[in-house]
Amino acid sequence: MYRLFLALRYLVTRPINLLGMAGITISVWALIVVVSVFTGFIDVVQRHVHSASADIIVSALPTWATWSKLQPALRDDENVAASAPRLLHYGILLPPGRRPDPAPLPGRSALNGGDQPFLFVLGIDAAAELQVTGLGDWLGAPAIPPADRADAASPLAPQDGLPAVLIGLERMQRDGLHRGDVVVLTTARFARTDDGSSVMPERLQVQLRIAGAFKTDHGGFDGNNVFVDRQTLQGMLHQDQPDLVQEIVVKVKDEATLDETAARLQRGLARALERNLQGFGSVMTWQQRNAGFLQSVEHQRALLKIVLIVIMVVAAFLMLATLSMMVTEKIADIGILTAMGGTPRGVTFVFLACGLVITSVGVVIGIGLGALTASYLEEIRQTVRWATGVDLFPIDVYNLDRVPCSLDALWMLQVAGMALATGVVVSAIPALRAARHDPLASLRGV
Amino acid sequence: MTPPVLAAAGITKNFRIGRQEIAVLRGVDLSIAAGEKVALLGQSGAGKSTLLHVLGLLDKPSGGAVRYDGRDVHTLSVQKRALLRHQHIGFVFQFYHLIPELTALQNVLLARMMGHSVLGYWGQRRTARIEAEALLEQVGLKDRLRHRPAELSGGERQRVAIARALIAKPRVVLADEPTGNLDSTTARGVVDLMFSIQQERGLAFLLVTHDENLARRCDRVVRMRDGVVVS
Repeated sequence: MYRLFLALRYLVTRPINLLGMAGITISVWALIVVVSVFTGFIDVVQRHVHSASADIIVSALPTWATWSKLQPALRDDENVAASAPRLLHYGILLPPGRRPDPAPLPGRSALNGGDQPFLFVLGIDAAAELQVTGLGDWLGAPAIPPADRADAASPLAPQDGLPAVLIGLERMQRDGLHRGDVVVLTTARFARTDDGSSVMPERLQVQLRIAGAFKTDHGGFDGNNVFVDRQTLQGMLHQDQPDLVQEIVVKVKDEATLDETAARLQRGLARALERNLQGFGSVMTWQQRNAGFLQSVEHQRALLKIVLIVIMVVAAFLMLATLSMMVTEKIADIGILTAMGGTPRGVTFVFLACGLVITSVGVVIGIGLGALTASYLEEIRQTVRWATGVDLFPIDVYNLDRVPCSLDALWMLQVAGMALATGVVVSAIPALRAARHDPLASLRGV
Repeated sequence: MTPPVLAAAGITKNFRIGRQEIAVLRGVDLSIAAGEKVALLGQSGAGKSTLLHVLGLLDKPSGGAVRYDGRDVHTLSVQKRALLRHQHIGFVFQFYHLIPELTALQNVLLARMMGHSVLGYWGQRRTARIEAEALLEQVGLKDRLRHRPAELSGGERQRVAIARALIAKPRVVLADEPTGNLDSTTARGVVDLMFSIQQERGLAFLLVTHDENLARRCDRVVRMRDGVVVS
């Protein structure tokens, strides 16, 4: 009993101990708020990326891959709900007579896109694509003005004699384009020389008419891709391979077994192609396909965790300093405690309890404040913006409607455990020093 | 004859300073019976305080045995010796050694908390408080219960230290120059108080002092010189 009583008395009579407590509180608070925001952000990014992607993507197909050969291999799988073929190309899409803008700074297109003229042209079968991806939702996104909405039933039907193109809403608005406008796709294709001895690239320009806008939740996808009809693209680029397929998108029935399904499809693909693939033909889940991007966000979270844990270490040193000062001041009490029946273990516990109380209170306040801040972060952001004009988290940049936040109970437990363990370690050092002190020296006033 | 509560036989204590070993106690025999007041008299460096620390189980002897009720206590574990100290021995020191963060009442209660778990003490906290208040009243500090040591005079502090030494109902009180830091009037009051309580409770009382007059008020005077009892 005396240990706890004395520890509490020592603590309440020394306001300097609040410094260590404040340090622990701040570090726990920061770890919870920042990681909650990042976890929420990762959840949102994953949802956005998934919304713009099929469940499984079959890509890097060899030049001899044909849709008629591969489709049955996919269709026969028990977990495949639907699949759709794609052709892939690239080019610059501009209104007639307009020059491309200067190249933007690198990096922005990953999240936002739409600010560079170079883009990917996806040749799709609209009817099949509607069964597999969220194309129907992308075309009907509420943000798209009615005048720019495509025909949902046949979005890529030729428009007034020109092939149709679907463009991301942001790109359309930025370039001042509307449904019915003509744009020119400038690209290149490989063609045999006249004597047939070699293959050379040649410039190709095709006029397309805008059939409407699309909008996914993933700005990076919208800004970097346009859709055209697969037959149109095939006619432009691969006239000698009418059944060519370069990418297949797949929708599964049960997402819980996505990885197993992808592995099964990979084996089925090898059988269907009837050749040694030699690195061709890759079947990836949407997470694997976007792993680089998703991992980069994960890495940022991990990096921030390290930085914030360093703050906790600094707080721990602060606590170590204040506790060491206290032990030095209270060394005189050790003799009388021993005379009254105390033991070195009891003396250790008195100072250890001081550190544990400081840490525990710091952790409880930090977790409470952290959870509260994380829960009302959007309201706090709006209040700060209203009061100061400063936007702490510019959500527009990230295509969000509010500050994302996801409180993770396991992470909160980990933070609490980490802080308490740190508290035990930094308290143990001065506590053991106190316990090693000769009580007779204290009684003699040495 | 009453059997001794505390008995020391052939106590030696050596300290090593560098390569040199210094013998501070050289075979001390001493016994104190219940209700007996013994004064330990000697010059500085005679080994009085060292003997008191050995008898109070604060320090281990290099040789010899200390017995409480006939039981050799220095062979016990650290925990058992601490418990024995708590239950049987009360200390009064020259410099009081009160804990400055605690009030007079809390300083006394702290000694009562020793040896109890939180729950164990919680059950008897009211009794403990009543006893502590009664003791402080007995030593004349009824109105100073909530005062901290810094707010008390030297005599008052020593009275708090006496109350603290008695709260656990010890059978032996070891006082190391308890009046050494007090003026003569205050010292006389403190000694009168200690002796009256000693008589009332039948305590075995060992008083370490330089003061011949004070020593004469005890039942027996033991004189030490250079680590041995000379008379």
